Amino acid sequence: MNSLDPRVSRLPQIQEPVSLKAPLDQFGTFEVFVQPKEGKPFQHEGIVHAPDIELAWVLAKETFTRRFTCTSLYVADTRDVYVSPLTEGESNAYDPIPETRESGIKKTYEIYHLAKRGRQHVHAGTVQAATPQHAMTEAKLQFNTGKTVYNVWAIANDAIRFTTPEEKELWLTLSEKKFRDASDYKGGDKLKEFLERKLIS
Amino acid sequence: MYGGGNTFEGIKTDSLSQEDPVKLAAFEARIARGEKIEPTDWMPQLYRKQLIRMIEQHAHSEIIGALPEGTWITRAPGFKRKMALMAKVQDEVGHAQLLYSAAETLGKSREQMIDDLINGKSKYSNVFNYPTFTWADCCFISWLVDAGAIVNQLANAKGSYGPYCRALERICAEESFHLKYGHHCVIYLASGTAKQRQMFQEALNRWWPPMMHFFGPSDKISAHTEVLMRWKVKMGTNDEMRNQFLDMYVPKIWELGFTIPDPNLKKNTETGKWEYTEPDWEEFKRVINGNGPCNKERLEVRRVAEARGRWVREALKSPKAAYVTPLA
Amino acid sequence: MNNLALKELLYKMADDQLILGHRNSEWTGFGPLLEEDIAFSSMAQDKVGQSLALYTLLQTLGESDPDTIAFTRNASRFHNCILVELPNQEYDFSLIRHFLFDTAEALRFEALTNSAYEPLAQLARKIRGELRYHTLHANTWMKQLGSATEESITRLQKSLEAAFPYALGIFETSPYEAELIDQKIFAGEAALKEKWLARIESVIHQTQLQLPDWKTLTPVYGGREGKHSEHLQPLLDEMSEVFRIDPTAEW
Repeated sequence: MNSLDPRVSRLPQIQEPVSLKAPLDQFGTFEVFVQPKEGKPFQHEGIVHAPDIELAWVLAKETFTRRFTCTSLYVADTRDVYVSPLTEGESNAYDPIPETRESGIKKTYEIYHLAKRGRQHVHAGTVQAATPQHAMTEAKLQFNTGKTVYNVWAIANDAIRFTTPEEKELWLTLSEKKFRDASDYKGGDKLKEFLERKLIS
Repeated sequence: MYGGGNTFEGIKTDSLSQEDPVKLAAFEARIARGEKIEPTDWMPQLYRKQLIRMIEQHAHSEIIGALPEGTWITRAPGFKRKMALMAKVQDEVGHAQLLYSAAETLGKSREQMIDDLINGKSKYSNVFNYPTFTWADCCFISWLVDAGAIVNQLANAKGSYGPYCRALERICAEESFHLKYGHHCVIYLASGTAKQRQMFQEALNRWWPPMMHFFGPSDKISAHTEVLMRWKVKMGTNDEMRNQFLDMYVPKIWELGFTIPDPNLKKNTETGKWEYTEPDWEEFKRVINGNGPCNKERLEVRRVAEARGRWVREALKSPKAAYVTPLA
Repeated sequence: MNNLALKELLYKMADDQLILGHRNSEWTGFGPLLEEDIAFSSMAQDKVGQSLALYTLLQTLGESDPDTIAFTRNASRFHNCILVELPNQEYDFSLIRHFLFDTAEALRFEALTNSAYEPLAQLARKIRGELRYHTLHANTWMKQLGSATEESITRLQKSLEAAFPYALGIFETSPYEAELIDQKIFAGEAALKEKWLARIESVIHQTQLQLPDWKTLTPVYGGREGKHSEHLQPLLDEMSEVFRIDPTAEW
């Protein structure tokens, strides 16, 4: 391609006809959860498209944690997030959840709450449960304070790619990457000096 | 970076009569209360359709918007500019990622959206169909096109659709760096050598008309959007956004001693509104319909990028995968 | 401490990081997947940032400021290995280069965390998280694409074979190897190469790729003493196009 952009001029010629993308050309999606600071709860940040959970984690790291503080991150396949119905007004998402007991081998589930429509889902805690439905029941027993929650998510721990303790060092230099920060572009002095010069001339 | 533009042309509200009136009333009441709509809520078809259209166009504008500035990544002068520009253009790609995801929650897959972009079915912001001849053009975009986008995005972040608002809040937070960086670059050109000043003045002369087009056709001629305003899909008229931009940035441009190429540009002290030569809307239409200086190149670059990456994606497609709509 | 030896080490490392960071940044906006586009750009930014840190160390040793060093030298005064200046080609080549180079880079900095030249040791300790990410990213892609389809395996294998002689060129020895080792500034290219081969091999073994028989290959040397391929000078011309409009101007 003949372009003003040297990068574009170097692109190879690709002569194949335009064809529509096959389904899943962009892969499935994974939900991304980030802990912004030590001691703060994880919160849902969005999704990445990735071929599997390991690459999802690798790609989520730069997609969601390159700009603002982060101490840890995890991902789960969208299909592995068990979701309650969404409520509105005064109605609490926990109300319709039946209080059932279930036996069977229990595993750990991460529970997320939507405290206000329009906000992000925030980690409420973990429960031990035999099934996702049971995890909802357990969450209701443990985390339902009566304050309206609009939506509850439960994700089994074994369906999550967590950050390992050694990987915590991945964010070591994040706070030093000032070139991505507005505070590194203070033009005030330069501007002042320029305006003074303009005034004189 | 996105400025509204042609998004809502020709909407038909006939379909509303086919919606369940009880549900529609509850939906409108929720928006009137200031509550956000989330993906699994009931919503009128027209709301869904127009939101997909708007968010998708916004996403396309980000991924295409990465190109005119990307032109200068390999040529940015000095470490500070080089690293900043790399990070800024990367952010634009990141914004496309966030916005495509928000649109996906409404039921249109990323595959379909990229197809519609490459095949010319979807639009994107007109401003990116112009070339960046010099480093100063790149600085103009970083400062002023981003500034225009932020005016628009801050307004839209108060809209009614939860996932779009969340994406926009993140985008606006990231773009505060773009704006400061862009202004910093321009201050350095303004206070630099005669050659540097000339470079920016020439860029400003080239980019002013597309900048005025950026906010879309004048309210006098643009399509009826009352229902979209009521539903908080569209948060301000094109002229309001344009006026807000002029109010914030014309004084800053003048402060640097540059001339804006419109002899009629001035603020009417009585109305508080800016007056300017009516932008050439025929040119705007011509460019949006594919006949701008860079439309072909922009789409061709996307097509080539998708084609070159296909083997990577095909190799890793899992037989176990199945697409479900992402959550929020 | 032998300043010439130290400077030579810093120059070649800084030039490697700058040139590969520059090359990798060319992918921004053209990547195979939005998310990967973002990740690859971040690593390019890390590399350019690391080169800046190294040029800044050189400045403390009496060299010019980083912008002047990076944006005004000609190719013959650059000390990067030839691997990093080669054009990006298709994503298979860029990924293979990323894997081969970044493995060496991570091991080099790991060795330098104990350098007797404390400012370099500090830098090496500081950026270990960045390097961990780069190798994690490279290894994950290698393992996946290296075991996926016939096309992906063939492409990676071809690029691996094309890149390998150049990758061996990373370890071209300096005239000061003995001093650097004696003074405990750096453990030396030979030791690094040995560790690198073991690390590369362990990843390749987890894929369906074949490690080239490196003993029969002729390493492509020359970069460390300023003898480059035809690709470096045009890269530098492009990089400094604006800077050279007026090198005394502030941009």
